[in-house]
Amino acid sequence: MREKRRYLLFEAICDGEVGKHELQNAIWDSIYSLYGDTGASESRLWLVNYDSGIGIGVLRCAHRTVEKVRAALACIHSVDGVRTAIRVIRVSGTLKGAGARTRMKAGALKR
Amino acid sequence: MPSFFLLNVHLQPGMPADEMLRAARRFGYTAICVYNSNNNNEVIMPSRNLNPYIYMGIEIRTDSISELKRKLRHYWSRVPLIAVHGGEEKINMAAVKDYRVDVLTHPCGEKWKGKELKHQILMLKYAAKNGIAIEFNLNPIIKSRRGERVRILKRLHENLKLIRKYHVMPLLTTNNRSIYDLRAPREMIALASLCGMEREEAIMALSEIPAGILTRRWKKGREVEQL
Repeated sequence: MREKRRYLLFEAICDGEVGKHELQNAIWDSIYSLYGDTGASESRLWLVNYDSGIGIGVLRCAHRTVEKVRAALACIHSVDGVRTAIRVIRVSGTLKGAGARTRMKAGALKR
Repeated sequence: MPSFFLLNVHLQPGMPADEMLRAARRFGYTAICVYNSNNNNEVIMPSRNLNPYIYMGIEIRTDSISELKRKLRHYWSRVPLIAVHGGEEKINMAAVKDYRVDVLTHPCGEKWKGKELKHQILMLKYAAKNGIAIEFNLNPIIKSRRGERVRILKRLHENLKLIRKYHVMPLLTTNNRSIYDLRAPREMIALASLCGMEREEAIMALSEIPAGILTRRWKKGREVEQL
């Protein structure tokens, strides 16, 4: 049976540029460190999209683990030596819902 | 949604308070309180309060009780918030016995090397009686890893039990020194849940309790002159 998912639109505020793979590793490290292997596997975490230029991305997780993922994201203080703070902008049940906001935000930032 | 307040903000030299406020508002906070102290234990008084959402508080760092009393006498009724940097048992005790203090920061020491709260029960009773909030600094959870984080979480769990038992006001902070130390209120609630804090308790510790401290709601009949 297909499990319900949640899409977290987040913003990474970084001291320098951070790539998608580095960020993905940092998120996985954080969730492993905080909840262990079982907790990390239950979260079904996946970095769907991340634009390093504007620092906005979409993260997918199981709908029961949103609070755990929030805590794990809050525990990230540096990515590859670059000071970073991550804030969740929005939690959505569909990628479209989160993606629309990404486009809006990107547009607003470019203006 | 309640208004969230960010206390225990330390500004780096050259960083304007307005920039920190802008970042904090982006994260979802209504106002910030900057603790104005430097490494030489000297307090720099703000020339004027520029923004109504920026409160200029004082964090007193001292090793002697007489010095603490002198500073409290000096700053009382001049600033909207007086915090005392705790750690040593005698300083903690002297701070909570004085009704002029609003917040006791780092009650177990900055590096968690001070006496545990379970050995400072009398201090907690005085804090509850005098309406003094005890800081719950979540920064060590963010910055530490593995064994160290486990120890910190264990001590935070124990502290929370005592704070509930003696009805002391907890105050959630992340000891901000830059915008990269900021965490949004919802993330703070998620972090607080790691040490056993309920969602409602965490919301109170981020909204009602700091608001009450800044407006002196917990200090009945003791008005403060606003700058």
